[in-house]
Amino acid sequence: MENKKMTLALFSGSLDKLIAAGIILSGAAADDMDVDIYVLLQGARAFKKEIGDDPDQLAMAENPHLKEEFLKSLETLKVNTWMEFFKEAKELTNVKIHICGLAGKIWGGEKLEDFVNLADDICGIGEYITSAQEADVHLFI
Amino acid sequence: MTPDELTSVTVNKTVDARGTACPGPLLAAKKAIGEISSGEIMEILSSDEGTKQDVPKWATKKGHEYLGTVEESGFFKIYLKKG
Repeated sequence: MENKKMTLALFSGSLDKLIAAGIILSGAAADDMDVDIYVLLQGARAFKKEIGDDPDQLAMAENPHLKEEFLKSLETLKVNTWMEFFKEAKELTNVKIHICGLAGKIWGGEKLEDFVNLADDICGIGEYITSAQEADVHLFI
Repeated sequence: MTPDELTSVTVNKTVDARGTACPGPLLAAKKAIGEISSGEIMEILSSDEGTKQDVPKWATKKGHEYLGTVEESGFFKIYLKKG
């Protein structure tokens, strides 16, 4: 049986939404889905090498005043960082991470080496649309 | 299978996922099932309430057999037979 496909448009570069994306990605990995992630605007900022998993440089999407409590709970519950989730999913299933070329440039990232090594390539919007058209599950986070 | 039958079954692999929250136990189960052969039995130890439903449903969907769950003090054991 052919694997189901998931396309994820990852617009957000916020701490809480990146972790949500990571958890959803874990579910997809457990189910052997093929996943294409298109990293857009704010998302591309989080993928910059100098940002990545550094919580001091990532904001909350909602309830910014709860950031400290959120981080503390994640630690207590031994929840992965967003990058650990993405890395683990890549090890378990076919996950390709594409950085939007424009988004990269907005944050000063021209080349693949400017981004964390989870990223597979830099792409244009046409690829995202084609991938979304073919996907069984399509998410925008 | 009844809890008594389950506790006396020969387990080929034990995954102790106690102390991790969702999706930890599911990912641990996914990894470990690749390490046993078809027909072998795996038990997953967890204290995460959501896992109680999540892992059996996942296992059945992936073609494995869910044998049952045994409650222990403060955690539970899910038994699966690899398909």
